[in-house]
Amino acid sequence: MAAIEETMKAAILEKIPDANVVVGPGSGGGHFTVHVVSPVFEGKSMLESQRLVLGAIAHLMKGDGAPVHAIDSLKTKTS
Amino acid sequence: MSLSDQQREQFDVLVKKSKVVLFMKGNKHFPQCGFSAQVIGILKETGVPFETINVLSDPAVRDGIKEYSSWPTIPQLYVDGEFLGGCDIVKEMYAAGDLQKKLGVVEKPVAAPTITLDERAAKAIKDADDGSGEHLRLEIGAEFQYELYFGPKQAGDVEVQASGLTVLFDKASAKRADGIRIQWVDTADGGAFKIENPNEPARVKSLTPQELKKWMDEGRKIELFDVRSADEQKQAQLEGARLLDDAGEKYLTALDKKTTLVFQCHHGMRSRSAAERFLRQGFTNVYNLEGGIDAWSQKVDAKVARY
Repeated sequence: MAAIEETMKAAILEKIPDANVVVGPGSGGGHFTVHVVSPVFEGKSMLESQRLVLGAIAHLMKGDGAPVHAIDSLKTKTS
Repeated sequence: MSLSDQQREQFDVLVKKSKVVLFMKGNKHFPQCGFSAQVIGILKETGVPFETINVLSDPAVRDGIKEYSSWPTIPQLYVDGEFLGGCDIVKEMYAAGDLQKKLGVVEKPVAAPTITLDERAAKAIKDADDGSGEHLRLEIGAEFQYELYFGPKQAGDVEVQASGLTVLFDKASAKRADGIRIQWVDTADGGAFKIENPNEPARVKSLTPQELKKWMDEGRKIELFDVRSADEQKQAQLEGARLLDDAGEKYLTALDKKTTLVFQCHHGMRSRSAAERFLRQGFTNVYNLEGGIDAWSQKVDAKVARY
């Protein structure tokens, strides 16, 4: 796994420690796919769940030179 | 960066600028990112009026809106001032019908399209099915791009039976699918699906030299136009091709709009532009000879000189 993907994974785990996180490549440079499984999403809407994950990596997506341009696919599941 | 109260109030106003506001990259006519384009496509499907705000034209808005919604990506959709989500969520809400509810549009139920699957296509699909319980899905994009694949059933899907198979369409695709025909055709590397769709707008169709030869042998009624210069035509010429000079142009313009037109040049580039031009003038059966006369002499008739 490339360094940036490790960084993303670590940032998500910091916010959601019990999560199972898979960060994969997306459609091009700076694009990624993210799958997160955690009971924390129980009862949360898709918006709330995604906001939780995106909030954890928001600092990596900020500005023009950001290492993360886009998340092509973000899946959050409870199990 | 965190927003001051004053900035927050400015965004409060901005997101309520109209009932539906989309913060996006580019504008509704020229979206500059694929995710923004997808949301525009969905909003257009619903038929509701909407306002777009191009974040690329103002860095303060671009950064500020992310802060305002605690959402780090663009596009962002707001309805009645409420943040609904980005591309993924909007897509999911549209498929489930939730977006339509929020927008207050009553969606007419999408009629199941009538489709034809020829025997060989059905067999190819059955052979490819790995038995995982996924269904065949056909997506038809706004520009009539096709994606045929196995995938899970999703909320709002329109289900169609053909040749003993179930084919799933999302609602937007279903609207573009009535009367389609899915065939399996032989190609150089085995075979491929071929989709004929009567809902597709007219476009320039490709013709190989071999196909043109077949048409000529069958005596099919076509009008063949050579868009090269008279000098080039002296070097090599296709039988029956009419030079598209002033006289040729006049002749063509007077033809019935349903006439089968074939355009040809040296390598197939100039003839394509000419074909596009006559398509815009309302001709509906317009073909481009791919590879031009050069491909003709290599594939069909070596006696036609190459230059």
